[in-house]
Amino acid sequence: MLVAIGVLALVILLSLSVGNKALPPLQVWQSLIAPGDSYADAVVNSRVPRTVLGVLVGAALAVSGVVMQGLTRNPLGDPGLLGVNAGAAASIVTAVAFFGVPSAAPTVWVALPGAFLAVVIVHLLGSGPRGGKPLRLVLAGAVVTAVIAAYVQALSLSLPDVFDSYRYWVVGSLAGRDPAVIADILPFVLVGLALSLVLGPGLNALALGEDTATALGAHPTRTRLTGAVATTVLCAAATAAAGPIGFVGLAVPHIVRGFTGGDHRWLLAYSVILGPVLVLAADLIGRVLVRPQELMVGVVTAFVGGPMLLVAVRRMRAGR
Amino acid sequence: MTAPVASGSHHRPVVRVGDALSIPYSRRGVVVFAVLVLVIAAVAVITLTAGRLGIELPNLLPALLSDPGGKEGFVLGRLRGPRLAVAVATGATLGVAGTLFQTVTRNPLGSPDVIGLGAGAAAGAAAAGLLWPGVIPIPAGALLGASIAMAAVWLGTGRGFSSPSRFIIVGIGVSAMGYAFTQYVIARSGREQATVLASYLNGTLASRSWGDAAVIWAALAVLLPAALLLGRRLLLIEMGDETADALGGRSGRTRLLSIAVAVCLSAAAVSVAGPVAFVALTAPQIARRLGRMAGAGIVLSAATGALLLATADLLVQQAPFDVHLPVGILTAAVGGVYLGYLLIREWKKGTI
Repeated sequence: MLVAIGVLALVILLSLSVGNKALPPLQVWQSLIAPGDSYADAVVNSRVPRTVLGVLVGAALAVSGVVMQGLTRNPLGDPGLLGVNAGAAASIVTAVAFFGVPSAAPTVWVALPGAFLAVVIVHLLGSGPRGGKPLRLVLAGAVVTAVIAAYVQALSLSLPDVFDSYRYWVVGSLAGRDPAVIADILPFVLVGLALSLVLGPGLNALALGEDTATALGAHPTRTRLTGAVATTVLCAAATAAAGPIGFVGLAVPHIVRGFTGGDHRWLLAYSVILGPVLVLAADLIGRVLVRPQELMVGVVTAFVGGPMLLVAVRRMRAGR
Repeated sequence: MTAPVASGSHHRPVVRVGDALSIPYSRRGVVVFAVLVLVIAAVAVITLTAGRLGIELPNLLPALLSDPGGKEGFVLGRLRGPRLAVAVATGATLGVAGTLFQTVTRNPLGSPDVIGLGAGAAAGAAAAGLLWPGVIPIPAGALLGASIAMAAVWLGTGRGFSSPSRFIIVGIGVSAMGYAFTQYVIARSGREQATVLASYLNGTLASRSWGDAAVIWAALAVLLPAALLLGRRLLLIEMGDETADALGGRSGRTRLLSIAVAVCLSAAAVSVAGPVAFVALTAPQIARRLGRMAGAGIVLSAATGALLLATADLLVQQAPFDVHLPVGILTAAVGGVYLGYLLIREWKKGTI
């Protein structure tokens, strides 16, 4: 745990110091504890919101991934794969197009209904009478994503202004977001994280199967409901702030499971820390790889996370 | 071509071309095919005649036979003619590609849209068009992207294409990567370019030229016979690899060849029309139900695909909106819903 926190601190420091203007870590530290108005301070200041956002988004996505995988007892649960991000995106684009919400600042409230709807549809589609098998849920997610994407494309192509802001947002990026966004999503992320962290024992019970869980005195229905709310809130917040970033919710739980085992309490705790590490690291890679331009974090996570999907599938087969 | 062998109770009628090719067909299949062709013709006539710019019905035949000038020449030669030709051929191409993929993966969901081929081709096209303009032509970029995506899926599954469900999941991952890459290219480029590219990436038939039509018809002319040649062995593959091998189906090689042909077909379709979603997925399914045939009804799928795309494009052209949306959006919306229906049906049967 200490190692994980250490890694997070290191990544945060790097995130503040690396970029088009690289600063020595020592100077970053000075600017943080004793802010002046030197050039270095300005640079650090400009990187602070981005880093904070990365931490919030990373924690939110990773934890929602754990909860989703626990709830569906499905190692392929990921907000991106299951269409929740697409749902949030659709509802934001709708709001911008029809209700005159300023496209610069999509709020969490706007993203919520779409995300929730997507969660419900995917669960309805994916959980049949004999319980949802992993492939089923993923395919249901792919269907939902495809239909929603068609809708979003139709809207954004007919309204050039919407398209123009949408195409920057949809890649998933931490850069150039309004610092006010952080204040906007902070309460949602905190509530979502709190809800999720108390779910640990419930998810552990659920992992034994519905009947066993009930026999052990757990409340599967209550756990499911809380979990659904928590994942929706977390995904909506993360998506509203940074755009749809895929695969964080898939990759982090799988990495964590490698050294904690299947206990959801530990999974959740580690994900809170390692989610930000993954997102910030992806952001860093994006900044360094094609300097002086930047690769959006969503692009990097897709290329890191796509192979993770494969690892997950192989592990799944090996386990059975 | 010799006359069909008489149909007894044990033999299905067969069309033979020498010793190389023999295609079994059923009466029902022939009737359905004829009906499909008639409906396609009807859709084509409506496409050319409907709307403000349409050629009036009595003038259509003379206009087709002679070389008309003026408005009719413009509509037929530039505006709607090439577009219609591209729509029919692209639809047919997608239908065949879908059939090949679905047969190889033994799963209706294993079609190019789901397994990342379209996304790969789109990413390739985007890169060729905007990121490195002028280095490689867009169709070559699409083929390159599609091939890379398929190679990634092939390597990713670890056992080639023999495990359908793993194949699909890996495909979804690859398609997410392709999609992310495309979004990155769009975000990087200027607004005008981005709009054009975005509409191409949805699959559009607007302002196609006779050059596009020539490309896709040529591809169809080469690849459709190849697909038909593979059809017989594909039927064996549907029975399972071991049975197929025992019957001389050479499952591994047949699978590889089919995928190669299907990738070429898909890339050809993408290069002229963009990744039009879900035609490849739905056409074989509909064709199968219409023909009530087990197995790869390649010709029927081609006709169904052509009909689907021509109809979708007609609807998009005549839709009462101010903006002409790309046809791919319509097919994605309708096809997506159909895919959902398909999923539920498959689950009830318990095949996934």
